[in-house]
Amino acid sequence: MITLKAVSKTFANGTKAVCDLSMEIAEGETLVLLGTSGSGKTTTMKMVNRLIEPTSGRIFINGKDIGRQEPIQLRRKIGYAIQHVGLFPHMTVAENIAAVPKLLRWSVSKIDERVNTLLEMVGLEPDSFCDRYPAQLSGGQKQRIGVARALAADPPIVLMDEPFGALDPITREQLQDEFIELLSKIKKTIIFVTHDVFEAIKMGDRIALLDAGRLQQLATPIELVENPANEFVDQFLGQRRFQLSLLTRTIKKIMPEPKKRKPARDTSIPPSHLRANSSLIEALDMFKKSNEVTLPVCDGKNFVGDLEKSQLLEAITRVMEETGENS
Amino acid sequence: MNSLIALWQKLGPEVLTRTYEHIYLVFLSLVIAVVIALSLGIYLTRCRRPKLVSVIMGIAGAIQTIPSLALIAFIVVVFAVIKLPTIGTIPAMVALVLYALLPILRNTYTGIRQVDDSIIEVAVGMGMKSRQILFAVELPLALPVIMAGIRISTVWTIGVAALCGLIGAGGLGDLIIKGLRSIRSDFLLAGTVPAALLALLFDWLLGLVEKWLTPEGLRLEQDNKA
Repeated sequence: MITLKAVSKTFANGTKAVCDLSMEIAEGETLVLLGTSGSGKTTTMKMVNRLIEPTSGRIFINGKDIGRQEPIQLRRKIGYAIQHVGLFPHMTVAENIAAVPKLLRWSVSKIDERVNTLLEMVGLEPDSFCDRYPAQLSGGQKQRIGVARALAADPPIVLMDEPFGALDPITREQLQDEFIELLSKIKKTIIFVTHDVFEAIKMGDRIALLDAGRLQQLATPIELVENPANEFVDQFLGQRRFQLSLLTRTIKKIMPEPKKRKPARDTSIPPSHLRANSSLIEALDMFKKSNEVTLPVCDGKNFVGDLEKSQLLEAITRVMEETGENS
Repeated sequence: MNSLIALWQKLGPEVLTRTYEHIYLVFLSLVIAVVIALSLGIYLTRCRRPKLVSVIMGIAGAIQTIPSLALIAFIVVVFAVIKLPTIGTIPAMVALVLYALLPILRNTYTGIRQVDDSIIEVAVGMGMKSRQILFAVELPLALPVIMAGIRISTVWTIGVAALCGLIGAGGLGDLIIKGLRSIRSDFLLAGTVPAALLALLFDWLLGLVEKWLTPEGLRLEQDNKA
């Protein structure tokens, strides 16, 4: 859907922000651009909506060279959300969300309907939020409106530059979870910029790790953590390898072979259960909360087997040994 | 008290005409100054030449530092050289316009430039054209600052316009000059008191307009910071 072909960007002052970057982003995928500041991740993202023009190379959306499209029209089809939100302070929440639909000359009734839908989508009560001003919102609420505004005209592509970066850890995690949930309902191609490797693992279908404008590795979160492509990636993950592995490994992998299925078991799923694709850390959480020693594991609606707490702890110990975590 | 009534009976009609002339002079000069300063200010936020900005701001600032009497005299001299009328409303208005430029120009420029970068970035990123950004985002957000500039200019211009009586531009200055020449306090009072009242009145009125033009969302934001 989005193709970057040998894209480079050298700024007027000689800084090489992006060097010879090629990648393909599939439709409906969330691609995370991960890197430290100065890695070229934001520059890469801004070249997709032509806020920055590449020095060389070309970018295609659905096979069309965006360099040959009118930037204004291009941008109206691409959602855009940034860390500092940038809500228009003199406009109400509804007017902020309606900004792009208004540019596209939607009818008033269509805009009103869309604003309500979006507010509900991001978990804010339309009746009580429509007429508020940004100054009357909390940080988390502002960012929700920022996301809603980016999605307003239902663009197939959304660019997000550290959208949750300025929030406190608890609100950030909450918004990340909500956003993942939201994405499961609406199919969007997302380019998500972050410097936070945990956020990258959590949000990304794939992660492109950049350093000094060069692509170091483009891989799924599991691959990135389990098989770093080079020394830079290895060092970038560094000390956090242990926690990252607990996040990326699913309990499916550590489940004992289902020797004896228990056909007698009630077909309804018990309230405390694990999902086969839960991460080890989520499983640990669940054991803690439920206070059980054995929990059933389900894959979708099918019962897969039982996992004992001791088996989980063993697996975690194995990860600890593999990643050289000794504290 | 009786003397005041007597004074009013004698000078009342003239005070009214002179006040009308004064307001007329100030109003026309301000309209011209606002048009020039607003467009120049907007242009300066658009041009990417910081040198040009500092040169123009420097010139406007320099005009401001010239004592108003000297500026009027200077214009009379220049107009004499280039054979334009040296008395009447035209040289007076040129002086007033020049004098009123700086506060409006400076406030337009800074008012637009102080709009948060992230707001502009999002506006561009969502596909707004430069003109749409100016009218839908930058000007509404800069409006209170621009209005403050217009208010300062107005009060100054009312004061400076009193000096324009010297070059026969009419207005309340006319009464003051008469009073000074003939050492008559009744003429002096009839000129100075209305001039001072005018300045106060317009300062108050434009303060109301400023408040009224401040978008509600912006007012709430300012309240939050306070």
